[in-house]
Amino acid sequence: MRLEDFLLMRHELLLTLIAIIILIAEIFTDDFKKQGIRPLSIILMAIVTIVGFLPAPTGTLFGGMYQATDMRLMMKNILNIGALIVFIQSASWLKSDDNQNKVSEFFLLLISTLIGMNFMISSGDFLMFYLGLELATIPIAALAAYDRYSNKSSEAGIKLILISALSSGILLYGISMIYGTVGSVYFDKVSVAYGATPLQIMSFIFFFTGMAFKISIVPFHLWTADVYEGAPVNVTSYLSVVSKGAAVFIFSIMLVTVFQNIAAMWKDVMWITAAITMTLGNLFAMRQNNLKRFLAFSSISQAGFIMLGIIGGSELGMAAVVYYILVYIFSNLGAFGVIAAISNASGGKENMSDYDGLYKTNPALSLTLTLALFSLAGIPPVAGFFGKFFLFTAVAEKGYWWLLTIAVLNTIISLYYYLLPVKAMFINKAETSIAYFKSDGWTKVGLIICVAGMVIVGFASVIFEYIRTLSFGL
Amino acid sequence: MTFLFYLLAAVAILSALMVVFSRSPINSVIFLIICFLSIAGHYILLNAQFLAVVHIIVYTGAIMVLFLFVIMLLNLNTSNEPHKSQLTRITAVITGGLLLLVLIAATKDAVLIQAKNPADYNIGLVKQIGQTLFKQFLLPFEISSVLFISAMVGAVMLGKKDSKKN
Amino acid sequence: MAFNIYDFTSFTQSIDQGLNSVMPAFWAMITEMVIIGVAILAFYALVGLFLVYAERKVCAFMQNRVGPNRVGPYGIIQTIADLIKLLMKELVEIKKADKLLFTIAPFIVIIASFMAIAAIPFAKGLHAIDFNIGVLYVVAVSSLGVVGILIAGWSSNNKYSLIGAMRSGAQIVSYELSVGLSLITACILVGSLQLSTIVESQADGWLIFKGHIPAVIAFLIYLVASTAETNRGPFDLAEAESELTAGFHVEYSGIKFAFFFLAEYMNMFIVASIGATIFWGGWMPLHIGGWGSFNMVMDYIPPFVWYIGKTAVIIWIMMWFKWTFPRLRIDQLLTLEWKYLLPINLFNILLMAFIVLMGWHF
Repeated sequence: MRLEDFLLMRHELLLTLIAIIILIAEIFTDDFKKQGIRPLSIILMAIVTIVGFLPAPTGTLFGGMYQATDMRLMMKNILNIGALIVFIQSASWLKSDDNQNKVSEFFLLLISTLIGMNFMISSGDFLMFYLGLELATIPIAALAAYDRYSNKSSEAGIKLILISALSSGILLYGISMIYGTVGSVYFDKVSVAYGATPLQIMSFIFFFTGMAFKISIVPFHLWTADVYEGAPVNVTSYLSVVSKGAAVFIFSIMLVTVFQNIAAMWKDVMWITAAITMTLGNLFAMRQNNLKRFLAFSSISQAGFIMLGIIGGSELGMAAVVYYILVYIFSNLGAFGVIAAISNASGGKENMSDYDGLYKTNPALSLTLTLALFSLAGIPPVAGFFGKFFLFTAVAEKGYWWLLTIAVLNTIISLYYYLLPVKAMFINKAETSIAYFKSDGWTKVGLIICVAGMVIVGFASVIFEYIRTLSFGL
Repeated sequence: MTFLFYLLAAVAILSALMVVFSRSPINSVIFLIICFLSIAGHYILLNAQFLAVVHIIVYTGAIMVLFLFVIMLLNLNTSNEPHKSQLTRITAVITGGLLLLVLIAATKDAVLIQAKNPADYNIGLVKQIGQTLFKQFLLPFEISSVLFISAMVGAVMLGKKDSKKN
Repeated sequence: MAFNIYDFTSFTQSIDQGLNSVMPAFWAMITEMVIIGVAILAFYALVGLFLVYAERKVCAFMQNRVGPNRVGPYGIIQTIADLIKLLMKELVEIKKADKLLFTIAPFIVIIASFMAIAAIPFAKGLHAIDFNIGVLYVVAVSSLGVVGILIAGWSSNNKYSLIGAMRSGAQIVSYELSVGLSLITACILVGSLQLSTIVESQADGWLIFKGHIPAVIAFLIYLVASTAETNRGPFDLAEAESELTAGFHVEYSGIKFAFFFLAEYMNMFIVASIGATIFWGGWMPLHIGGWGSFNMVMDYIPPFVWYIGKTAVIIWIMMWFKWTFPRLRIDQLLTLEWKYLLPINLFNILLMAFIVLMGWHF
């Protein structure tokens, strides 16, 4: 192994480096100096995000175990952006008295999950994939229980760890069957040798089930709402955007490469689950009052939409998935950022009825939330519209007309409930709406990045075209 | 050897069943320990002595002891067991049975693949495992260390005393 | 090699061949197992009896007393008298105890120590099982005993025994790490985990001399950690008489209590003999490179005597610990392991690896 080869792993190595820096900073600082850890982590993360965009060589390492292609690097960059925004948004929340003595742990755990996600996306065999997946989920469970004195937070932590253990077990069972029938864990060997014997189909079903838990596709989504509601807002936003994005990325890569021989079969499975996921996610979202639960169900139905691109399967479909997640990161983090800011300022007000008349008191936040919800719903001026549009094109191109119809119907349904908070903020009258407050600099920066992302990513067609050129070299 | 295999397999399956069927959690843990020991026996039959011993050290010696710890401290009894309705049980039995049926049907016609190096009988010895682990699987090995350190950070975070609240 | 006269390899092989010639292989194996089992059991009982006597005499010596001196000359039959007394005692059944677990707990403890003794090489060729991972096997098997202790403490349904069991569980699980790591340090120098190979490799000098600084550190850590792992004073919080009455075995009486008692002494014997085998050459006589005639003289002392002698020295050190140091608190105990012994140990492994890599050992 040459020294230049380490450049291929620069995302992971840099993240490991900043994790070590933060760990050392935590050990060797006293309580007063610990205040500096927040800006330090954010600045380091920003540097890593920027360095990630620099052009770098591609190739494989460790005998195909680690693969760095342009597309995978792009995916990592997208996740880095998401993590950076979460970092910035959590800055003011971490300053509160309850959280002050565990600031560096928050950053450390998030960074280690990011390392896991990056390795998972770059994995070239099932072993690396599984290790990355575990590294991406276990620290999150600790973070979900971050707010130790709240029962709901502890509940979220324990539910997340149990569900991830269960789904990992199912996933491993599937992987062991794949290994048993093929005799190798390397993706390239499996993809060639994978046939459609009953055992192999069974192994795919197990694999799919395990991944479906992670992405929270409908029959396996029951944990999502409780965990999203219980966990602190910033952790929820990370969980719903970055974690889900990473799982979707590797899942789509694996489906079109490893399981290409049974593409006809998994497309059928995905067809049905995508339709159910979109519909049920939407129907449940309509009935929620807590905004975190609301966004949880919305994220379930978004997962259904993302599956459309995977079913499309073409290079357009892959590009659409990656692009949609980029857009989804900005929109969902924008929405969560506003909810977090309001929840922190108002002492935990997260219900839709609390938002009545918010426009009168906090116009900027209301407009940001509105824009984010428009983007999630796919209303034209913002990026979400283009994301959905490309996904639909990818499906239409392959002639899945029924699925497309269901998807369009669901988009219309989703318009209804995405407008509910907007209605609350702008139209509903309230006797005591949340008082005006001034968000601190970090929150503002985070929200500005989200808004800029929602607008720019939508209008700058270069971004989609660039992603599309990459998706040839999956 | 075949006799030993069947003996160990029977012990493993029986104790695994007893883990599920035992009323008292402590008994379940004891049966789990027996199950792990018989699996370690399987490893020895496969000439993977290192795996067998590590299996005993890690699972029986450390993890099961922690299990015992937690269960003893929680003082769980049979009375703490949540009540499950008859309907839940019936559905669980039916789904489990169906899964078993499908699994048996799927494995019935499965083709045995040839082991890579059937002549390499020493693959489970400590030297071979070390060579494989630190050459071919170096990267996953290192990642697992990141996993452990993050798990430790998480555990410390959850267990840390609040300096202000005290 | 002069110690060939004490080589048991041909002796054990001839037994094996003899058995195989008169009966089928399967039954020959079974018979061998029975012979070995009986031999080890007899050895086990003998050592147990002697150690209990030795402990009382050493204790008396430390405290300027005479110790047992009534039963037999110098009180040497005292332990046998005690044994008979324990056998005659009633086995108290506790109403609220978990009967099954209460009964099997002492057996788990004693089986664990019994399994460990099988791996110890007493002399060349006198070795029940010679795994190629012998060191790890001993660590693994000795870690099973803690399950018995925990079950004993819990099934007694007594808060003192539960606290004792908890303490002992925390203690054994943590100190096991140091024991394992310090043994691994020594194994790095030898390059093998097989106990017979480790002993053979010390023919030209004991490991503690060959590995100088890291080997000495490893030995000291091993001594402390193994004392703690066997639940002996100053680390005997699990049975702290003054606060927990007797810890996890407070509800046990008669022969069941004797099992715990015996297992404790046997564990001490096992860790001492593993320490002697790995760091002090086991049955290997003391050899000094270049001193041909001296080495010859040493070779005439039987290996079994060397082995017992070295083990006895380590046992004596451990007894010395017990009667000299005051008992630690549980937090001090865990601090010692996790904040001092473990980091030193990890660093020591690096040092040893570096020294082996550079060839700076003898």
